Amino acid sequence: MDLIHNLKEVFEIDAKIKNDFQIEVEAKKELVSSILLYLKNQHGFIHLDHMSCVDWIEDEVFELVYIVWNPNTKKTVLLHTKIDRNKPEMENIDTIWDQANTYEREFREMYGIEFPGLVAEREFILEGWTEMPPMRRDFDTKKYAEETYATRPGRENAEDVREKIIKRTGEEIPDFAKKYSRD
Amino acid sequence: MEGIGFKILGALLTTILAFVVGMFYGGLNRKITARTQNRVGPPVYQNFIDLVKLQGKRTNIAHGFMGHIAPVLAIIASLTVLMFIPVLHDGLWFRNLTFKGDLIFLLYMMVFGSLGMALGAGQSGNPNSAIGVSRGLAQMVGYEIPFVLALVSLMIQFHTTSIQDLMAYQHETGQWIIFANPFAFLAAILSYLGMFRYSPFDIVGAPAELASGPISEFGGKYLGTMMTSGSIFAFIKLVLMVDIFFGGAGNFGSGFWGVVAGLVELVVKTFIVYMIPVFIGLVSPRFRTEQAIRFFWKWPTAFGVIAILWSVFL
Amino acid sequence: MSNKINTIGIPSEEEIKKAQIDFSPRCTAAGRVNDKETQKMVEYILNFARKHSLFVLAYGTGCGAIEIPATMTSRYDAERFGIRGAATPRQADVLLITGYLSTKTLKRVIRVYEQMQDPKYVIAFGSCTINGGMYFDSYNTIKALDRYLPVDVYIAGCMPRPESVIKGFIKLQELIQNGNAGNGECYRDNLDWYRTNQQKIIKNWDFPDEYNW
Repeated sequence: MDLIHNLKEVFEIDAKIKNDFQIEVEAKKELVSSILLYLKNQHGFIHLDHMSCVDWIEDEVFELVYIVWNPNTKKTVLLHTKIDRNKPEMENIDTIWDQANTYEREFREMYGIEFPGLVAEREFILEGWTEMPPMRRDFDTKKYAEETYATRPGRENAEDVREKIIKRTGEEIPDFAKKYSRD
Repeated sequence: MEGIGFKILGALLTTILAFVVGMFYGGLNRKITARTQNRVGPPVYQNFIDLVKLQGKRTNIAHGFMGHIAPVLAIIASLTVLMFIPVLHDGLWFRNLTFKGDLIFLLYMMVFGSLGMALGAGQSGNPNSAIGVSRGLAQMVGYEIPFVLALVSLMIQFHTTSIQDLMAYQHETGQWIIFANPFAFLAAILSYLGMFRYSPFDIVGAPAELASGPISEFGGKYLGTMMTSGSIFAFIKLVLMVDIFFGGAGNFGSGFWGVVAGLVELVVKTFIVYMIPVFIGLVSPRFRTEQAIRFFWKWPTAFGVIAILWSVFL
Repeated sequence: MSNKINTIGIPSEEEIKKAQIDFSPRCTAAGRVNDKETQKMVEYILNFARKHSLFVLAYGTGCGAIEIPATMTSRYDAERFGIRGAATPRQADVLLITGYLSTKTLKRVIRVYEQMQDPKYVIAFGSCTINGGMYFDSYNTIKALDRYLPVDVYIAGCMPRPESVIKGFIKLQELIQNGNAGNGECYRDNLDWYRTNQQKIIKNWDFPDEYNW
């Protein structure tokens, strides 16, 4: 493959073929913007499909994935990179693709990853959020929800309430529903 | 039978008639729309229930003085126009204040209600209202031209500016003006499509697009008053159409049964005319503003010009 | 804008705790019968009209919004009950909340509710508005709507089918006829309690100080 050979030659990284349409590349975070620019300008990967972030709390890293697509060859490149979880900082690439701006805003809000030079409002989806960024895995959403939002008291036992409702209203359980009965 | 008392009674009866028939036509429109879409639809008296509910709201909000009197202006305009339209040809009961120059007077007066509403909507400060008003005025510029051309061609052809005279002419010769000057009718009915604001010319209201446009900040009794005024105005437009082009109604003498027969004839004729915009509205999507204006300045205006040539040279 | 001082003020910790303990909603549909003898006949007629002419403002949050077209169009045809869509809150009678509410949406819903004219009704759709549903542990979704707005009718289900929606409307009609529905006045009377709850979760509170209802 031409592309894999070139990547090896220019950036000294190993790309591997995942399947007919996908090529997987792993790179250091300093190289990401150069690789993306190289792919866009030299190899026709002109479309940024997606950017996503995975929180590997055990390894103390955030994994960022950049997915770019070439409309002529219909090939996709998945570019992985890992950044330090304790001091999350990543290069801003919205000069290469404008739409990256939106993704980066979301990462900043949901994971707390800083993008120096990113020109955007700090507040994006959450309004007036003061806690830890909520998509981090050490954020306990259940605890937070129980503390913040009023919970309606539920029933104590797990009885089949349909019997009770039927007694109250005088309706009958239709035949097709009887097989779901708990007795 | 002469006397001011009967005049006042006649005016009251005309108002009630216009209100009841107009509201029922609104309900019928909803019912027909529903049946066309294979639905059961609301009962035909649904608009009356809506009106009672709107007037029975406990709180009503108006954004300033103009917003408060805008519905009043609208209903005053409707009633004023109604008073100058001869509803029946024979008899004194439904003639009201009709006079020799009422066709020209009506041309001016029919715009007044929309202007009142525009002022009220402007004060609410809602951007949807402002867009709706500007669209409404633009559309008015569109449909007023063919409408005026149609009426002017009739004035030239019959040397009169009185609706009563036009009705008398049709009664005497037995020939409706729709046959005497068909192009004037075409121009008028096409501009009526814009005046009724059903699809494809519902660019003013446009619920999905403008959140009902000028009336978006009116609720409760204000909305109810607007609805009443709209219903009366719909009746006025239909009666005007029937009077001018379909020979009017009520050529059965001025006795009691003559008046009743005249009213029945009026309802039948107005209903048939009303169905034209309703059915066109049912099968049409919405125009954009510039498309609507372009339409009005193309075909209806051409028909209007032909109508004037027709009346001058024939 | 954000420096405005609220008339109600930011809730103290004590108030928050009190609001949390006192769970039961202040305004419920039951037990608010208008029994003024002098107005009985008028109220009866008005209630009849209100019942048969419901202008619905469908606040399309969550997945329930997809049930509204089905309810309104040919197959289930809600218009035969006099139910009809309204374009703006000023014209509407019924606020239909169709699914989960994030805190961001809740703020807008409250604004919309306060702009509606009395008598106004709220129908809440789906399990999300009742107890959080599948969003029970979400960091951004409220779990019990009646803490923040007075709800007249809940329709259970995930999502409720159009039959259930119509049944919910018929239930609302019954309540209206008996004079039990419409909690706008109760909301105004208990505004402090509702505001405390609302301000607890809506962080950037920038509502106007005084409402022109």
